[in-house]
Parts: sequence; C-alpha cells; structure tokens
Amino acid sequence: MTVADTIPKLLLENDKKYGNKKIAMRKKEFGIWNEYSWKNCYERVKYFCLGLVSLGFGKGDKAAIIGDNDPQWFWGEWAAQAAGGVAVGLFVDSILSEVEYILKHCEAKFVIAKDQEQVDKILKLKDCLPQLLKVIYWESKGLWKYEESLILSWDKVEKLGRKYEETHPGVFEEMIHTVKPDDIAFITYTSGTTGLPKGAVHSHKTAILCSQNQLKLYPWYSNDDYLSYLSPAWIGEQCLGMVAGLKVAAVVNFPEEPETVTENIKEIGPRFLLFNPRMWENMASTVRAKMLDAGLIQKFFYHLCLPVGYKAINFQIEGTKTPILWKLLCKIADFVVFRCLRDRLGLSRLRFGITGGGPLSPDCFRFFRAIGVPLVQEFGLSELLPVTGHPKGFDLDSIGHVAPGAEIKIGDNNEILIRGEGLFLGYYKNPEETERACAGGWFHTGDAGNFDGQGRLIYWDRVKDLVELSSGVKFPPQHIEGKLKFSPYIKDCMAMGGKERAYVAAIIAIDFEVCGRWAEGHSLPYTTIIDLSQKDQICELIKKEINAVNRTLPEAQQVKKFVNLYKEFDPDEAELTRTRKLRRSFMEERYKGLVEALYSDQGEYAIEAPFVYRDGRTGVVKTVMKVNSV
Amino acid sequence: MKKGLTVDKVDLAFGGVGALCGVGLELKEPQILGVIGPNGAGKTCLINCISGFYRPQKGHIFWQGQEITKMPPHKIAQIGIARTFQNIALYHGLSVLDNLMAARHVLMKQNMFTDAIFFGWARREEIEHRRRVEEIIDFLEIEGIRKKIVGSLPYGQRKRVDLGRALALEPKILLLDEPMAGMNVDEKEDIARFIIDVFEFLKIPIILVEHDMGVVMDICDRLIVLEFGNKIAEGNPEEIKSNPKVIAAYLGAGEER
Repeated sequence: MTVADTIPKLLLENDKKYGNKKIAMRKKEFGIWNEYSWKNCYERVKYFCLGLVSLGFGKGDKAAIIGDNDPQWFWGEWAAQAAGGVAVGLFVDSILSEVEYILKHCEAKFVIAKDQEQVDKILKLKDCLPQLLKVIYWESKGLWKYEESLILSWDKVEKLGRKYEETHPGVFEEMIHTVKPDDIAFITYTSGTTGLPKGAVHSHKTAILCSQNQLKLYPWYSNDDYLSYLSPAWIGEQCLGMVAGLKVAAVVNFPEEPETVTENIKEIGPRFLLFNPRMWENMASTVRAKMLDAGLIQKFFYHLCLPVGYKAINFQIEGTKTPILWKLLCKIADFVVFRCLRDRLGLSRLRFGITGGGPLSPDCFRFFRAIGVPLVQEFGLSELLPVTGHPKGFDLDSIGHVAPGAEIKIGDNNEILIRGEGLFLGYYKNPEETERACAGGWFHTGDAGNFDGQGRLIYWDRVKDLVELSSGVKFPPQHIEGKLKFSPYIKDCMAMGGKERAYVAAIIAIDFEVCGRWAEGHSLPYTTIIDLSQKDQICELIKKEINAVNRTLPEAQQVKKFVNLYKEFDPDEAELTRTRKLRRSFMEERYKGLVEALYSDQGEYAIEAPFVYRDGRTGVVKTVMKVNSV
Repeated sequence: MKKGLTVDKVDLAFGGVGALCGVGLELKEPQILGVIGPNGAGKTCLINCISGFYRPQKGHIFWQGQEITKMPPHKIAQIGIARTFQNIALYHGLSVLDNLMAARHVLMKQNMFTDAIFFGWARREEIEHRRRVEEIIDFLEIEGIRKKIVGSLPYGQRKRVDLGRALALEPKILLLDEPMAGMNVDEKEDIARFIIDVFEFLKIPIILVEHDMGVVMDICDRLIVLEFGNKIAEGNPEEIKSNPKVIAAYLGAGEER
C-alpha cells in the first residue's frame, strides 16, 4: 500500500513506479484499442494542468467536466486537483437548466467538455456565467468553424502548458506537494430525487479513505482490467475507477462509445465492473430476448440448464449445504451453457460485478448468480461510500453486512443513520442542509430499513416512500417495480397506492424493441409505441407478466390494475433522474388524471400531454389509453 | 481548366415523356446547392445524369473541364463524383465495415493476387484504407454498428451508412438524393448536422435533393427549383421563398414560412 495522501501524489507515485512499463488506460478509437502508460498519463495531466494554470486556474478554483467516459475526463480531473483546484462532474445528458444550476452554484472557472453537443450547451449559458474563463473541448468534430474566443481545444491547452514549463520548470511537482489531504478534491452533485441538486464535498482524504474501504470490501489487484462506463460525475465511479484505480494501478478501459459498451466488454473481458441496476437488467433482458430468437437446440439446452442454476443458488441463499448431486449437475450445466453464456456477455473473467446506485430486482440478481456471474450488491451514498456489501456469500433480502470503515444505526422511523471515516465534509454552500443531515454526528440517509438477526441490513425504501393502502397494509413500491421490470417486455413501471386507495395499481412503460419484435413474431401490425402499447394483444401479454409477478407477492400487495403508458419514461421530461430513478411525486402529479382513472371504473383514459424536445421546443401528444384489470 | 461542375442545357426523355428540358446549372465554388421541386419534377433524373446512370439525349455535362456526359458510372465515381441513393444501394448481406471497404475498391491499386498474399504493399494499402474507413465511421458516429450486417439495420442507420459509402470514395463533389426521406425529426437533424460537418470539413460542393423545405432552407447556400423538367427559379433561399413562380408551383400560395 502506498502512503500518498492526495490524489495527485498517487498519480506521481504510479508514474515513478511504473513509468512506461505498465499500461494505465486503454481507449478504443477508430476501431483500435490505444494504450496509455502511466508515464503518458502523467505527462498529459502535467501539461494540461500547467496549461490551465497559465490560463488563470488557481488554488480552490472549480473545473467542471462534462462528457462521456474518456481518458480526458480522468486527466482533466487530476489536472484540476494537481493545481489545488476542485473537479465538479456533470452528467452527459444533463439538460440546460441542470447544467446552469450546477455551474452557477459551484462558480466554475473552467468547463472541460467533450464535444460540440456539450460545448453548445455551455455557450448557450455563457451570458449568465460571468466567472467562466474558458471552455476546453477534447473532440473537435464540428467545432472547426466556431469563432468564439471562449473555447479552446485540449491540445492547445497542453501546448500552453509546455510553454509555461519552459519559463517555470519544476512548478508542477511543487504544486503537487502543496496540495493538502484536507483540501477539497471534488464535488458530486446528488441526483436530486429530492428537490434541487446538492453538492457533496469530498476532500482528498475522504476520497482516498472511501476508496480504501471500497478495496477492502471488494479487493482489486494491480493489472486488473476495469471497464469505466458510469459517469465519474457519480461518486461510485469517482471512488472506484478514478481513485481506487490509481491506488492499485489497475488498467482502466474506456468504451469506444456508450452504445458499444456491450461489445467492448467482450473485447476486454474485465475483472471488475461497476454498473447501475439498469445496465444489469438490460443485459439480463437482452439474454432473454435473444433466447426467444435462438435456434431450437440452443433453446433446449438453455431451458434445461437454467433451472439447475436456479436450484443450486437456492441452496446458497437458504444457507444450506449444496448436495453433491446438485454440485455435479451445476458443473455440467456450467460446462454446457453458462460458460458460453458468460463468454458471450464478456463476463467470463469477472471477479466482481458490482451493482450500485439503486436497488436491483432479486430476479435479475438470481439470474446472474444462476449463470455463474459473481454479481454483488453495494449500498453507498454520495456522502459516504461504501456503506454495506456482500463480500462473501449473498442473499436476496438484505443489502448486506456493514462495510469496512462504516457504522450504521437505526434511528427514528426506522431511518438508517450512518457515519464513517470517509464521510463527506458537507454540502457545498449549503450549511443548513449539512446541519440537518448530519445532526447528532450521524448522517441521516432518509432511507428506511432494519437489521436482521445476522447483522445484515434490510433495505425497505425511502422513509417517505413506503406506501400505505386504505387497509393499513404498507407496501414497498420499488420492490414490486423491480420484479415487474425483470420481464423483457416491461422497460419501466411505477407502482402506486395510498391511504385512500384500496389496491396497488401500476403504470407500465413497455419495452418498445422487445414488444415490437414480439408483435412482428405474432403478425401484429403497429406503427409507433403509442399504437403498439394499446394493442389488446400487448395488454394481454403484459397482464400475463403481471400475473406471474402477483403470484410471488402477498395478496394485499398484488397489482390489481394497470395501464400501458403511450411512451417510455424519460429523464429529459424529469420523469426519471439522471441515474434513472423514478421521480414518484412528479409522476403522480403529471399523470394525475390517469392515476384517478386507475382507481375508478373507467375502461380507458384520454390524455393530452405536452412534451419537450432536448433543445427546448415543445409539442403535444393526444391519445387514449386502456385501463386494464388483472 | 474550368473548375467545378457545369450542366449545360440537358434534355432527357423517356419515350415521349420529357423528364428534363434544357436544364442547366453551374457549381463552381464549394457550396451546398439544393434542388427542390414537386414529385416527378426531374430532381433525381438530374442527379442520375450527372452520375452517369442516365444518358441525356441533348446537352453536355462537364466536371473540371472534362466532358462526362457519356462516361459510364464507375468512371465517374473514379474521378471523384460520389452520390447517395434515394432507396439505398448497399450490399445487404455485408457488414457496414465491408460495405465501406468495398466502396474504396475504386481507389485500390493492388490486384486480387497481391491481395491474396497480403504482404508488403498490399498489406500497407489495406491498412491505410481501413484507417480512412474508421475515420468515416467515427465521423458519422456509427461505431456501434460497425460489424452489423446492413440488412439487419433500421432504415435511418442504413441511410447513414449510404452516406458513409459515398464519403469513402474520397469525393470531390457529393450528390445526395433525398438523404432525409422517411426520417423522423431527430434523425433529420442528425443527418443535416452530418451534411454541414462534411461540407465544412471537406470543403467540397454538395448537391442536395430534398423534400423537407425547412432543412433545405436552413442548410443550402443556393437553390434551384424544377417543375416538370424545367428550371423555374434559381437563387438563395431568401429569393426562392419570395419568388411567386415557386410559391405557385411548389410551396402553395402564400403559406410557407
């Protein structure tokens, strides 16, 4: 273990230790995996940092970064930190108002943006960002003709850095050594399921502590391949890909484009993955959808072996010893089907596949475990990471044991309270909120849960999201949604109830691609998702899926009525957060009439809904939706 | 040597039906020239004449001072006139990558036998062509479908690959035949952006046949309007918008923006 106590020092150490001998990063460009050694990385960071300094970036200044995961994202952050500054990550698909809020709130002096799309966003805002000095881009496509003094290419900044070094030799190393562990390293803005985004501040010290604890929970080793996919604007990627990757000197791989990630996984065969539940769920339903189209022989073996896998993991879940017969069968199933399946998914070398950022449905979890993918859950927050995990064994009810470096207490209303050495410093420029969240020395998560007899934490839901029905029964909507979403035909859904309401109802967003394929297979003509979602056959299909889920639920929690929404849930319309969590209260408000129809005898409901394009224009959709009883 | 493309009083008829009657145009400096007109006005015929698919009965077409009126299409492609097709002409059974590589066939110097041995020159050439193709893939943002079979792709993406195929020819002039036909608003915006990017990056003349008036008015520097094989107007978008003949023939009296 190294003793470097700041992020730039970690980089410096890796450069000294490995230099050109070891690969730090890979990025696929023009169809080829380009490799960057630690020395390459160090130099890119160095000159970019000096370039920033020569342009007026100083200690404590903020550099906001927006773009897909690329080496430049990482270098940009490290460069800002080496100069004593602070990195602020933004999500690629953030809309204008979100970008504006965060840039204003953090007073970013520099914005490092990937491409034309992102640069355009910032340029639209430039009049209300007086403190902004430069926008630096690392992909020049489409920007050749911009005559705008505010923007500058990454390469030019590096050139400026080289010039600056001639007049100020050794200044970079000096700067690195003046950065203190207690200086702010980065601010991550929480996704804002609750109102405006809040900026959780982490110092170099807390960031490194979080990563250290993360490594204790799920160990990595030097040379482990990691695939960076989730945005570093999120704490998980910050601590894993960025800081833990530095700490163990792992190889961080960047996919060519976000769309090519499944192919890139196959090419890399990562040892370590961090995906959000949606990605895992997508992968699982892709397998299922592909199996629908597979040949007879493949189908036969798949359906023969999968139950074996399920049976075998049931022994693990129940904690009983697996009988030898099942062990043997499982080995055979693994050899015949699972091994190939894992290979197809690119997961055959995986040591840990982590799911974090939200709850993963148990069915999806079981599926991956059944086919032998070492999927583990992790519960962490922007304020503290990790909180709980399943380093050994697993179960589906709990979110695991308390992670190294964290402490948990159950407070009033069953609220989960946490503290730990890696706990954040506070919310940026928001002392009241910090005060409230950290009252009594514990961080109030706002999540409800309890411990079971074996010291495992059971997650219920957000404290305010547990829903009571008129019968007095409480039900966890997220849990039901997770189960429903495991159907390949359902992309998103929202389960609802309430004190005045007698039963659970659901709004379903069908998976247009999968349902479309199903419709083609059943000679069912359709035009758009608006049309397809209301077809009787599709309603029947969804009803069947819901019935299957209902059978696994207690009577009082079963879904009684549902409606197929005419579109998919969309973060651009604020129906989902950027990490694709459902914004319930907003949805209930937005589809008020529809919700009422679900709790009445109406057979259908006509809607006239406005929608917004990403560039701000608006339109109106008019359609009639069927209300279906189960 | 004369620069650019000159179409001089071209006549084209199928039997007794006149498709083009004395249509002429000049395209000297790099600019985007829009060709508009109602259905059956002869827009695609004009493109087909330039790219050698049709032979006009009368008139001449010159490219960089060279007469190309009677040249076969593959020769015309070789001298740098590339086009896309309204109804997409790709090898449906090949991958996107292979389609683009096949488009570069006219630029390859090696023969079948040296390619089979794949050593020295042949190898270097193949790598060089692959590099260019990868640049085009990056340019058009089709990395995700690089190895997909074209026949399995949705329409919008095939259109994009078709444009890529034209770019792979290293064109000196690009003829785009309704590149946005049948697309939704988002896809149209994407293609419009690619056309502008191509234009700015390659600085070559582009002839764009398109129905969507909004797009044409936005991205074209100059427009010509055809009706029943006759050129009825020429000018910049502003002039065309206020030209009474055009309004009567195409835009519908007084309602277009």
